[in-house]
Amino acid sequence: MSALVVGIGNRLRGDDAVGPEVAARVAQLGLPDVDVVEQDEPLTLIDLMADHDVVVVVDATGPRGHPGSVQVCQVGSGRLRRDAPALGSHGLGVAETVELARALGRLPQRLTLVGLEARSFSPGASMSAPVRDRLDDAVRAVVDALAVVDR
Amino acid sequence: MTHQGRELMVGTLARVEGEGAMRVVVRDGQVSDVQLRIYEPPRFFEAFLRGRSYTEPPDLTSRICGICPVAYEMSACQAIEAACGVTIPEQIRLMRRLLYCGEWIESHTLHVYLLHAPDFLGYPGAIEMAKDHRDLVERGLRLKKAGNALMTLVGGRAVHPVNVRVGGFYRFPTRSELGALRPQLARALDDALATVSMAAGFEFPELDQDYEYVALRTDHDYPIETGTFVTSSGRTFGVDAFDTWVTEEQVPHSHALHAHLRDTGPYVVGPLARYSLNHDLLPPTARQAADAAGLGPTCRNPFRSIVVRAVEIVAACEEALRIIDGWSDGGAPSVPVPARAGTGHGATEAPRGVLYHRYELAADGTVLDARIVPPTSQNQAGIEHDLRDFVQARLDLDTEELTRQCEQAIRNYDPCISCATHFLDLTVEEA
Repeated sequence: MSALVVGIGNRLRGDDAVGPEVAARVAQLGLPDVDVVEQDEPLTLIDLMADHDVVVVVDATGPRGHPGSVQVCQVGSGRLRRDAPALGSHGLGVAETVELARALGRLPQRLTLVGLEARSFSPGASMSAPVRDRLDDAVRAVVDALAVVDR
Repeated sequence: MTHQGRELMVGTLARVEGEGAMRVVVRDGQVSDVQLRIYEPPRFFEAFLRGRSYTEPPDLTSRICGICPVAYEMSACQAIEAACGVTIPEQIRLMRRLLYCGEWIESHTLHVYLLHAPDFLGYPGAIEMAKDHRDLVERGLRLKKAGNALMTLVGGRAVHPVNVRVGGFYRFPTRSELGALRPQLARALDDALATVSMAAGFEFPELDQDYEYVALRTDHDYPIETGTFVTSSGRTFGVDAFDTWVTEEQVPHSHALHAHLRDTGPYVVGPLARYSLNHDLLPPTARQAADAAGLGPTCRNPFRSIVVRAVEIVAACEEALRIIDGWSDGGAPSVPVPARAGTGHGATEAPRGVLYHRYELAADGTVLDARIVPPTSQNQAGIEHDLRDFVQARLDLDTEELTRQCEQAIRNYDPCISCATHFLDLTVEEA
């Protein structure tokens, strides 16, 4: 079985860099049979997911007063709300893309969303300290999601 | 609630790129105020570019928007090459046009199928629409994927192409690599024609607006990667005169600047402007499709922009096939661009309309000053004008339905809020 990790976000918009940064750290681990990509347009997930059985998507979630908190959401039969983890700051968000894939019968066998709550998406800002400090927790959540299945 | 005095406030504008806010105030049965509030970050990217090397703006500005990175790269390259006094050869221009066709296909298809069609087919969004119209959504995704494939081959990556440089490309794809895309693009052309037929069959609210249209125009091709400015009242000016023709003014309700054309006032850029000022330059299949859709040589109903976008997808597929079929290997993928002191201007037709860049360079190529004017900020005044007329004619609707229709009216412009801003709320208040 092939696995894919997608980091969603924009490195030039503060904590929106979470997805790409976590993806880059996962890539450095050199896990066998795991493809890693960075994207800032969630809709591309539809095509990316089609080629993989196990997919983990990492994105910043909107600020809710707990910057740096990590959420893991196993996509099952329940519909994701638009403000579910991995909303980010994008037009057609990750949650909507997942639901679109579901409506089209294109969900992978196993899909996990890992969200790291942002403090700010200010253009040009670096990642905020509480978010940066939890990046490795998000990396571990991604690795755990990959390890749950026997690939 | 009475319909004579109310204020429509919508906090989250769905299905626009980014987030936004709208506020419409009705007093004594008259629309008294319309504000599309766009919260633009401080002109961060312009400041961010100062002090950088002249080779960096194409890549850095491409990260402003995940939907139209090529537009930013192309306007930046053009402006920097102009500042350095370099003219690129025809083959590089054609490859840039080909890359840009990929972005038009991808961006227009995303908007037509997933953001705008649900309005016309009566669904709250693409997910609900996909359950009843799976084939339609699959066609849209297939078409978008063709644009993606073109951007990946020519640009090096689908989002934020890495193959683009000042002076051209790091590498040209070969004729054989381009030929391998041909079947996918031929299918995309068929899908694009089906898209025009679909869009032409929608019902459109009556709204004819007497805007000043502004677009690029060339003497040879439908404008994409180059051109000079033309307007619907017959004015013409070069890209290097944009600064003297267009002024941007701060308005109290927005951090984005409102653009005004000299001696005219607000104006509109984008597919309707491009089409109406360049109908005679559409490639033949696109022109036939436009005629069959009943568009005529100009289009002044913003709700019909979905048909014009579909026609432009046809044009982009047709142009891509033409460039691929005529491609010969062997040309240099880039030309040297030695740094020199000077100011350069660049303007290209992003999917949403004219995107202008200006750079002032020091002799060693350091960027001293940068100015970026994205299409959405140029259209903001036009969108507000539409909303004013649109709401006034529909005050008998209840607030929920009127708000829904206002959102649709805003989506006519496919506003790319992340280019002009980061956050936007759409608000409808009772007064």
